[in-house]
Amino acid sequence: MTRRPLIANILVALALVVGFGWLCTTVFAVLGTQTDWSKAWEYRETLWRGWWMTLRISVAALLGSIFFGLLFMLGQRSPLVVVRWTCRAFLEFVRDTPLLVHLLFGYFVIFAPLISRPLGERGFDDKLIIGILLLSVFEGAYLGEILRGGVDSIPRTQWESARAVGFSRFQVYRYVIFPQALRRVLPAMAGLFVSLIKDSSLLNVIGVAEYFYNTKNFISRSYAGLEGYVPLALGYLILTLPVAWLSHWLEKRFRHET
Amino acid sequence: MKLDVTGLTKCYGTTRAADGLSLSVESSRVLVLIGPSGGGKSTLLRMLGGLEIPDAGTIAINGQRLLSDAAALQAYRRKNGFLFQQFNLFPHLTARRNISLPLEKVHGHTPAEAHTMAEQALDRFSLLDHADKLPAQLSGGQQQRVGIARAVARQPEVLFLDEPTSALDPEMTAEVLELIQELADAGQDIILSTHEMGFARAVADQVAFVAMGKIAEFSPPAELFGTPKSAICQRFLSRVMRY
Repeated sequence: MTRRPLIANILVALALVVGFGWLCTTVFAVLGTQTDWSKAWEYRETLWRGWWMTLRISVAALLGSIFFGLLFMLGQRSPLVVVRWTCRAFLEFVRDTPLLVHLLFGYFVIFAPLISRPLGERGFDDKLIIGILLLSVFEGAYLGEILRGGVDSIPRTQWESARAVGFSRFQVYRYVIFPQALRRVLPAMAGLFVSLIKDSSLLNVIGVAEYFYNTKNFISRSYAGLEGYVPLALGYLILTLPVAWLSHWLEKRFRHET
Repeated sequence: MKLDVTGLTKCYGTTRAADGLSLSVESSRVLVLIGPSGGGKSTLLRMLGGLEIPDAGTIAINGQRLLSDAAALQAYRRKNGFLFQQFNLFPHLTARRNISLPLEKVHGHTPAEAHTMAEQALDRFSLLDHADKLPAQLSGGQQQRVGIARAVARQPEVLFLDEPTSALDPEMTAEVLELIQELADAGQDIILSTHEMGFARAVADQVAFVAMGKIAEFSPPAELFGTPKSAICQRFLSRVMRY
């Protein structure tokens, strides 16, 4: 680095550190006297249970969203025009309405009256299952679009060559189209999974005891401030950062291959 | 091979790519389709190869009527080979894997068998050095040769080649044409479309001139190139032979 940019960099870095430091000290000056980390420690068990629940919801909804994503993608490529249009309309509806509405409407209006009792009788947590289902459909709608984009981006000759060597319809997807399409959409998919983890916090509105829900309860019961929100943010970061890193790594790895 | 085509019609929107096309070939080893671009060569070849279903008309190869249901067409494609202008290979697989994967998944060979067969196919065309390269690391000519190696790895009944050298420079064209000549000499039944007139003349034992969705002329190469009868074929040949 030559002299000038070096100095400029140092100056900007200094300004940022000072600015951030000032913000932190101001916030701590207001809250500092009331911040009591032992409160968070007291509630560690609920927080841990919430975090663990969020992790499980995320994994389940991730698998669910892959299932729905594939379904929506194939639906949009169906030879039947009715299936294609229904699929399009449904996707458009899902993508253009808030997840919060899906959860409230889907749980209280559609699913709870239908399946809450049978689920409960069999010893399942109906809120959790319906919440995961709704979250899967919502993220699946986005994933369906991502996958469709990836599949559409594969040139026509690849489909034809695959048919020419004698692959069946399923084999064409399995051995030729998906491996190429997935490489192209992996970064977008990883981004979506990061969103999914964060969106799972919305399940608190139907009373699923996940990380946000438990933290919120802890905060309102103990009048906590920083000691509630800081672990909350960190807890989500622990889940999302590995996914983000993984996506960057995959992106780099596959870039050289095509 | 023996070939019987009657009243073949195929429309794309309002254009008639094949328009009541008929062709009867008693016996031919290498049948070459020539003619102007957009005249219907590719469409005819794709229908013969079972990649496109005709709107009307019938095709029979070696006395076997070509059916139009998906399962029969797939079975038909499995016993033949087809090569396009370019991008034949699957870019995420090595040259070897491009050949062995269909052998495993389509023809039910064990991975070890498929591996050996792929090796032999590559070796036959002196491509063994490139076995572990991805298509992007190969030249256009090498890609086409691997494509042909894949198509003939399991002794296809008929090998269909749709303008196999149109996307290549002259040097690569030569290497691919040599390979096709070699296959023809070895007795492989081939139907190919091309713009390489010299090659068509040398390799074909029958030439069909396809224009406006029909066979305008059909005869042995010496005759068709020497004394073309139809006006449209005369015009075409005088134009392409001028330079």
